[in-house]
Amino acid sequence: MAIASARDPRASTGIGLRSEALAGYAFVAIPMVLFFVLNIGSILYALFISVFQWNIRSGAGPFIGIQNYQNVFKDPIFIRAIQNSLYYAVVWVPLTMAVGLFLAVLVNQKLRGRTFFRAAFYFPAIASSAAVTVLWIFLAAPDGLFNGIRGALGLNPIFQLFGYGPNQNWIGDSHTALNSVILLNAWTTSGTFMLFYLASLQTIPGEIYEAAAIDGAGSWQMFWRITFPLLKPGHYFVATVAVIGALQLFDQARIAGGTTGDPANALMTVVLYLYNLAFFKFDFDRAAAVGLILFVIIFTITLIQRRLFGSAPSW
Amino acid sequence: MRRSLVLVAIVVLMVSACTSGATPSPSASTGAPPSTAASESAAASSGAAFDPSAISGTATLSGWQSSDAENKALQDTVTAFAAAYPNVKVDYKVITGDYPTVMATNFASKNVPDVFYVDASFGQPWADQGFLQPLDDYIANQGFDTSTFFPGYLTPFKGSDGKTYGLPKDGNTIGMAYNTADVPTAPKTLDELVTAATALKGKSGLKAPMCLNPGLDRGLAFLYAQGGSIVSDDGKTNMVDTPETKTAVQWYLDLFKNGLGMTAADMGDDWCGTSLGKKHAAITFEGGWLDPAMTSTYPDVKYAWGQMPTGTSGSPVTISYTAAYAIGADSKNKDQAWVVLQYLVGKDGMTKWTSGGVALPSRSDVPTPTGKDVLVAQAQFAKPGSGFMKGYSDVQKAFQDAFTKEIQDKTYSADKVIAATKAAVDAALAS
Repeated sequence: MAIASARDPRASTGIGLRSEALAGYAFVAIPMVLFFVLNIGSILYALFISVFQWNIRSGAGPFIGIQNYQNVFKDPIFIRAIQNSLYYAVVWVPLTMAVGLFLAVLVNQKLRGRTFFRAAFYFPAIASSAAVTVLWIFLAAPDGLFNGIRGALGLNPIFQLFGYGPNQNWIGDSHTALNSVILLNAWTTSGTFMLFYLASLQTIPGEIYEAAAIDGAGSWQMFWRITFPLLKPGHYFVATVAVIGALQLFDQARIAGGTTGDPANALMTVVLYLYNLAFFKFDFDRAAAVGLILFVIIFTITLIQRRLFGSAPSW
Repeated sequence: MRRSLVLVAIVVLMVSACTSGATPSPSASTGAPPSTAASESAAASSGAAFDPSAISGTATLSGWQSSDAENKALQDTVTAFAAAYPNVKVDYKVITGDYPTVMATNFASKNVPDVFYVDASFGQPWADQGFLQPLDDYIANQGFDTSTFFPGYLTPFKGSDGKTYGLPKDGNTIGMAYNTADVPTAPKTLDELVTAATALKGKSGLKAPMCLNPGLDRGLAFLYAQGGSIVSDDGKTNMVDTPETKTAVQWYLDLFKNGLGMTAADMGDDWCGTSLGKKHAAITFEGGWLDPAMTSTYPDVKYAWGQMPTGTSGSPVTISYTAAYAIGADSKNKDQAWVVLQYLVGKDGMTKWTSGGVALPSRSDVPTPTGKDVLVAQAQFAKPGSGFMKGYSDVQKAFQDAFTKEIQDKTYSADKVIAATKAAVDAALAS
């Protein structure tokens, strides 16, 4: 670009530069206005709402400062929602990344029919999350397919060791509900992560593998010494997207556990809690406070991730 | 430098835009519910007699819609209204999607339908938020008789200020539905119920004799039957930690413990209607909504309705659910809206609306639809199943969470359920 403009006769004149810059600003103006109004604007507006007693019909009531934030932290259900969302992120993100990476490495091989496998692994991601969740509820029901298959395969004694009877209600039992949703989402999202990793895998130069092969490295060594470290930008991108998505878990929890996060708050997530406050209790001021708390949590975790994985690749 | 100045200017502009758009109104800043007096219609507030047939104009009517049959019944009722009040045109718009969410956005934008459904669980919160128009002046000025409504159906639509914010469009009571092949005669008392259920235990095909709800949605009826309650009748005293309530909760838990009852979820069903239809359970406790589900999906299953069995309290009691018609505080056609409302909840309108059996009447002077005798008769003594106290949804949730945990942990002790519910009632009463 710099070379091209140096050869451009207009570049030597100030007019050329200025019109080019204006064109640039004009192009970014529309998305920037939308970004400021819809993103930054709503965040500031939420901040404003959260420090007042707010009625959605009549607007702001008395200024109450940080009282909404204090009340939110005093609510045990909110604390439970934070715990659930963090647990979900801590278990689901590594699990889904690992499955995604495994699938990506698998379909990156020169296999017969790999296009079919790529499409097949990605398929759950394009199905509607609501439909897949409903399907999952049927599969995990006490007399559902999952319990039927493990019974037929004679695996029930193993499950019995962990305290799960033959008719375990996986989504209806508060001990297993969240883990069931984690498995569901690991299945539906790993295809997307596979795609991200596949793109990253293509950027690793083949010569490195050739050199390693000459040095006598096996495929296991090549994966851990070459592929895994050189995927660092990919890890960063996938982990960031995953953590943000995990902390915003809503639809599957809403469908499997209703608006109240049943059973016994096992599926209560931060976003579901916010939704309940706003649309069932009309507590928009407190809901705004929850939104901002979630924003701060996500922002902080993303910054930490950037520190940990975000530096440029080391090759 | 210039860039950062532009950024600062944008932020300042945005903040000022937000604040100026939301300047606290004088009435709101005092913390009092927003006044509706300014928008009140002349006819209602003047104290003069209100003649509905003298009003003309248009009113929009909205609500959720659960079936085609409901849509047809409402359309027929609206047609009958048009014949009775030709000067007022009804513009019916069904609200699809999540009703409270859609209505919340309508309230916020002050673009509300003139007449709309209000579920009992939302009656008080919506009234207290100032979304609904008080109906007392209209009722007084027209001389509209509210004494024929079953009392349990009126309570949920009283605001904290004691005013009436909605009139019940219909109602349903919780009764006992039982498979007549398994249960030849309906148990009349809770003792008889336990005896009948015990006799059915282990019967082939049955997952449990009874399908039970692990919460107050149905459990409250059993609490009342044994003299227990959640709050005192005036709604001010916490009544959870009383021996009667505790005994009732323990009795209800023991049904699960002794294998006499199971939740629909644990039977692998979406609700107890399915459990009765699939013959997973022989007895369950539901309302009139069970009938269309059974006749359409499980027409071969023979079942009957029995009155909610009486418990140690000795007197018959059950709980009821209802929804009302209300007028939006921001409605621009309040007089027209009232004309529509008073017809829909009046004797003629409600007779038309309930004649197809889609809903049960909330008035005692409307004929009982065929096959609904038990459920309608129960309305005489039914207490509201929701909306009878502030913050009841939190209480329900606390009870159900603790109760479900006792079942799933197989500990079946009422103590923790009572403690959790008591705390929730305390919090609700203090709010």
